[in-house]
Parts: sequence; C-alpha cells; structure tokens
Amino acid sequence: MKTESRLQFWLRPSIYAAATVLGLLSLVYPFLLPAVTDGSSAGQARAAEMPLLMTVMLGLCLLVLIYEVQGQSMNTKLVALLGVLVAINAAVRFIEVGIPGPGGFSPIFFLIILTGYLFGGRFGFLMGALTIFVSSLITGGIGPWLPSQMLAAGWVGMSAALLPPLVSRVRSIKAHPSPRWEQGVEIGILVVFGFLWGILYGVIMNLWSWPYFSGPADQFWTQGIGVYETLQRYFSYYLLTSLIWDLGRGIGSALLLVAFGLPALRALRRFQRRFSFTQQPSYEESDLLKKDRAAEDASLPLRGSA
Amino acid sequence: MIHTYVWVIWLAAAIVSLSSTRNPLYLVLILLCLAIVNNSLASRIPQGNNPNASAKFPISPLRIAIMLVGLSALFNAAISHYGDTILFRVPDWIPLLGGAITLEALIYGAINGLVLFGIFWTFMILNQALPARKLLRLIPRAFYPVAVVTSIAISFVPATVRHYHQIREAQAIRGHRLRGVRDWIPLIMPLLVGGLERALSLAEAMTARGFASGGQAENGFRERVLLLLGILMMFVGWIFRLLENWYLPGSVLIILGAILIFAMLWTVGRKIPRSTYVREHWKLRDAVILMGAILILVFILVPLPFLNKLTLSFEIYPSLNIPGFDPLIGVVIVALLLPTLFLRRELPNN
Repeated sequence: MKTESRLQFWLRPSIYAAATVLGLLSLVYPFLLPAVTDGSSAGQARAAEMPLLMTVMLGLCLLVLIYEVQGQSMNTKLVALLGVLVAINAAVRFIEVGIPGPGGFSPIFFLIILTGYLFGGRFGFLMGALTIFVSSLITGGIGPWLPSQMLAAGWVGMSAALLPPLVSRVRSIKAHPSPRWEQGVEIGILVVFGFLWGILYGVIMNLWSWPYFSGPADQFWTQGIGVYETLQRYFSYYLLTSLIWDLGRGIGSALLLVAFGLPALRALRRFQRRFSFTQQPSYEESDLLKKDRAAEDASLPLRGSA
Repeated sequence: MIHTYVWVIWLAAAIVSLSSTRNPLYLVLILLCLAIVNNSLASRIPQGNNPNASAKFPISPLRIAIMLVGLSALFNAAISHYGDTILFRVPDWIPLLGGAITLEALIYGAINGLVLFGIFWTFMILNQALPARKLLRLIPRAFYPVAVVTSIAISFVPATVRHYHQIREAQAIRGHRLRGVRDWIPLIMPLLVGGLERALSLAEAMTARGFASGGQAENGFRERVLLLLGILMMFVGWIFRLLENWYLPGSVLIILGAILIFAMLWTVGRKIPRSTYVREHWKLRDAVILMGAILILVFILVPLPFLNKLTLSFEIYPSLNIPGFDPLIGVVIVALLLPTLFLRRELPNN
C-alpha cells in the first residue's frame, strides 16, 4: 500500500516530465538526426516523414498532458472559470485575426501568463492549450500546426507557475520592502517572462514548420548535414523569417503586462478568494421541512386505524 | 449531410496527397479539386452565410494564397542561391542574402507556398463543412471535462464580444476616448471582471445542479502507468530511430507506444456515457466518398508497381525542367471531388 502511494506520488511528475521531454525532443529531431547518421541510406524517406512524425508525436504528448492535467481537479469552479477565461481569450484572438497587430503581436499570452502564475501550472496549461483550440474552432485555424501551437501555449501557462517562488525570493532581497517595491518586482518578473516567451513561442513554432520547407535550399533542414550546419541554417532561417515577428510578440506581451498587469492581478486575486467556496451537502432537515413533515403526519390517519 | 468521420478521412486523403508531392501538375490538380469542393460548399446556401459553418474567415482564400505563395517564393529566392537560370545578383557583402537570385529557387519557393496553402485550404473546407458542435464531438470521450470547458467557452465567446461592445458604448457615452494604451484599462478591466462574475454564477449554478459537486475522481492508477509506459516506449523508439541500424525497431516501438496510448484512452472513454440526441447514419454517399479517400491514400502511401511514383517528387534543381505526370495518379486524385456530387443545395431555413 505504501509502495503504491509512493508510486502515485511519483507518477504525476513522471508523466509531465516524460510528455514534455518527448515533445521537446520531437521538435529538435532535425538537429540530432544528422549527428548520428551519415545520411546515405533512406535519407529522403526520413526527410519526407519528418513533419508527419513530428506532428503525431507532438499530438500524442499533448493528449497525454491534457489527460493527466484534467484528471486531477476538474470541479465546477475550475470548469466554469476556465471556460469563461478561455472564451475571453479566444474572443481577443478572434479580434487579433481580423485586425492583425504589429509584427507577431498577440494579446492572448497576457491572460495565459497571469492565470498560470496565480492559479498554478495545471490551470495555466489548460488555459493556454484550450485558448488556441477554441479560437481555432472559431476562426477556422484547425490544421497540422494546432498540436504544436496548443503544446507551446500550454507550456507558457505551465511554466508561469514557476514564477511565484522567484518573485518571493527577489522580494526578500529587501529587509523592509514597500508595497510599491513588491508590486514592481512582481510585474518586472512577469514582464521579462512575457517577453522571453514571446520569442520562445516563435522559436518553437519555427522548429515545427522548418522541416515542412525541407528542400535543397541552404537555409532549410536537409538530411545528412552536421549539427553545427543544421544550427547555422536554422539560425539564418529564424533570423530572416521570424526574429522581427517574434520581437513584436515579445514586446507586445511585455507592454500589455506593464499596462494592465497590476489591475488584472488584483481582479484575479479577488476572484480567486471568491472562488474558494466549498459545497457541503447537508442531510439535516431544515426547520421548515420539519414543520411540513409534522403537519403532514398530523393530517394522516394512524396506520391500522379504521 | 455527409458523415463527420467521412469528412475527416477525406481531409486525411487531401493532406497526404498534398504533402507527398512537389510536382506542380499534381498540386494544381489537387487545388482545383479543393476549389470545386469549396465552391459547392459555399453555394449550398445562396447567401453564402452558412449558419452551420464553424468558422468565419476574416481573410479570403485568394488573399491567403497570394500571401503564402508570394512570400514563400520571394523568401526562397532570397536565401537559396541554387539553380542555373540566374535572374540577377545581390551583392555578396550582404549577409545571408548575397548571391545569385535564380528562377529555379523562385519557382521552388512558390511550389512550397502552394503546398502550405493547400493544407490551409483543406482545413478551411473542413471548418466550412462541419459545424463546431460536430468538431466538438470529435473530442474523444476520455477528455470529457475538456470538452465541457470547450463547449462553455464556445457558448460564451459571442456573449463576451457583446459584453465588450456594451462596455465600449457605455464608456463612449461617458466621454471616454482611446488615446493611449492606458485608455484601454476602462474597457479591459470591466470585461475581465464581468467574465469572472459570469464564471462565478455559472460555477454556483453547476454546483447547485450537482455537476461534479464532489470533484472528479482522479485518473486510475493502472491507466496512468500504461500512459507513462506508452510515452516511454515512444521515447525509446525515438532514440532508436536516430541510430542507423535501429531505425525499424525504433519505428515499431513508436507505433506500439502510440497504440498503447490510444487503447488506454479508448478504454477510459468507454466508461464515460455520452448522450446522443441526433445520431449520424452511414449512407451510400458516405461509403462512396470514403472509398474514394481510401483509394487516394492507398495509391499515395503504398508502393504499387504499376505506378510511376517518381513523378510525385519533382526535382527542379539545377535547371528548370518539365515535370512528369502519371495519368493514373491524376485520375485517383480527382476522387477528391466526390463530396461535390452529394452536396445538395440547402435553403437557409434548413
């Protein structure tokens, strides 16, 4: 029994870690493959199957992560809160698709980061993944890119849960911190985090799309080249196609967090307390019910009497 | 209505045929088929306002095509300097871009753009053909909490947009103007707080009606162990595939891991009851379209001796040449048109 509970304890982080690592490894597959193969045999076949394999493996990692995350604490409060917040974020993305912002600016990361930071990694993961899924259903964005987008957005929310200890640690640098300092530290860390994820999200999505462009061009991935050359090619591909785009996303997320971070955090914290209600089913009869029952008994003839 | 699963298999056939070729002749043929299916779907309702469609596209397919093909062609020409037909030269001192701009690279980029556009368009067609509720039903039963969240979110999106407009009008009446980023706070915060209030009411209502009031039971221990095992098998298979001589065992392990994960999710899903109010029935038309899609998948994926599969991979470098064409492959690709035969014209009130 003790062994099983110990296994139960380790099972959850093991599943999270295994699915996340496999997802990451699927994305960096093109970097590692040429290092251990000479590229002479079956190279073309592997190059052709690369995008499909990557999409399938990322999709499976996503399924496993969602299954594990949803199975822990999907009560009514979580379902309702998640549903409504995802709706707000999906509506924002719908507006973004219609009226594209500068560069890769996307306002959706603002709420994903804040909810992951406040409500924890599981909530953040579902918030990120489902925002992309629901907005794709609405805007017609369903495609082979969806699993990697969902996974990457989920990682944004999940990793935001790592920030509270960091915020506490930085806050504790000052012996007598003022509220202004505490708020500044919190927003500062969130802003840096938002900026970095703005770039990283683009890097991940590029890793997914890169093998789709495989061809004889010297910027794309081709079977049989070394790790260094693969990295060089990826770097030039990224620099030309995405860096400015991703900078737009990173700066946009950071600006949103600077402008709206504090009021949004205040509102979310207030509702976090309000959402802590618990439902206790009571089987005791209320006074009104007791009176009703007494009146009912009085009006009924006694059993066995004529 | 064509069966949901038939549409999904049709989609798989279209995607597989698109991704397995760089031959512009086949690509144009596939895109023509997609255009005809798309037009048939659009003309089902004369006003072009399909209430069943799950997607409302803000950008037209033609604009997307021009954007994808154009950008891809320019990008490839700028960074790939292969090919014999040199159009002009960019000075070598410009990093990454310096070198010859060739016609071959330009055309190869355009072909890549066509493939990407084709994939995008196929999914657009699926979004047009299937309403969101049918797409939602494709979520496996094992993920029913996620499906509930998704249904709530989809139902709340129009309400959120309405709420935003109401806030904007109310603030405009008060003389609010959008001059800078900070001026968005009076719009964003009421939207967020209003949404959270609605979430609270919804949570209370769901709790009062007994929805998962005791909290959902944790996933089973055995199922989770199997899940972990499946992931680990895929992980080991992935490592094996990197090694030259372990390619086949690696592939087998990945497939077994995937099967294990799917089987586990299917087993868990079977325990969860699902109410179906309108059941979809298989009809002859579904069988015909399905057969067509399977035929395409077999012809593209299975090595058949009587097919010239080499025509699928078109090698444009080093010099421009005319691509080959196998009429049999062409005829099979035309099977993508089968849904148009069964898409009847529907009236808006239907």
